[in-house]
Amino acid sequence: MMSGLKIITQQLKTNPMKNFYSNKYLLLVIRIILAFVFIYAGAEKISDPEAFAISISNYRLLPIATVNFFAITLPWIELVAGVLLIFGISVKENAGIIFSMLLFFTIAIIISLFRGLSIDCGCFGKGSQIGLFKLGENTLMIIGSILLMIYGSTLSKLKSE
Amino acid sequence: MNISKILLITFISVLLSLVYNHFNPNGLKFIREERLLNWESNSLSESDTLYSSINEKNINAPKPSDSLVIDKKNESIKSFQKPKAIKTDFAYKLFMDGVTFIDARSADEFAEGHIKGAVNIPFYGSENYLDVINSLNKNEIVVTYCSGADCDISILSGDELFELGFNRVYVFIDGYDEWIKNNYPTIKN
Repeated sequence: MMSGLKIITQQLKTNPMKNFYSNKYLLLVIRIILAFVFIYAGAEKISDPEAFAISISNYRLLPIATVNFFAITLPWIELVAGVLLIFGISVKENAGIIFSMLLFFTIAIIISLFRGLSIDCGCFGKGSQIGLFKLGENTLMIIGSILLMIYGSTLSKLKSE
Repeated sequence: MNISKILLITFISVLLSLVYNHFNPNGLKFIREERLLNWESNSLSESDTLYSSINEKNINAPKPSDSLVIDKKNESIKSFQKPKAIKTDFAYKLFMDGVTFIDARSADEFAEGHIKGAVNIPFYGSENYLDVINSLNKNEIVVTYCSGADCDISILSGDELFELGFNRVYVFIDGYDEWIKNNYPTIKN
């Protein structure tokens, strides 16, 4: 970890931006954080599908009949993408999946904020209301997933090839 | 980035989710039915009765005459199957009867103004208010509310209280905004 930080700072000094973003340690950190966030979010929702279905329907964006389909499938896509990210399998592709989910979630939150709904986010089970903080969180994760989509992350990858 | 890989991963995840949901005892039905909050029949005005007869299947409103009889006979022991939604007039009636109102909004919003005599149990962070919840009589009627029809925490709070053992939970759907419009008693901290 310390050596990782050292290399990051060194690279910052020599070749400012591009090398910093494509630094393999930084990408590994982003990869692990995103993976854990999505595994946690997925598992939490899988454990209580009805609560997640209610959260989705509170956004009032999807036809009510389709809500259960998303409540059943989305958490598993999150979980699988998270697990594959941890092991470094198809990092760019999984980052792409996570990016598109985050994009949809963020748009949904923005629309709801504009409509003045004060509803539960449904992001990690009960406990957080939608708001600017949530938007900030999502924006950071979106940036992280874009970096992973561009540069990938091969460090401490499960060797299969 | 390989699009076919993305599709494959998504497809496998969806497959896994469907298999899991099929065997999960708490699994969901594939097609969702509308979240129904039954209206307290006594709280419907004439125009609402018309509305409810159009949507009778959806709202499941019991026939007013039936429930009036049941209500009067078993006032003390009757508990609800689920929290029930009520209109402003009925909420005011309950207010005049001295029923406990529960404000599900945040402590800040509560301090800015609330229904007179209401108890604040914010939905976000309700775990810190367990002593308040326990100090209430679970067999008495309670009414939850939030700011208005655009917030859902009154319903969620109502569900939560119901799960905690409150027998008769009403959800005052139109909430605080409508209460103010009617110039009903409020208080500021």
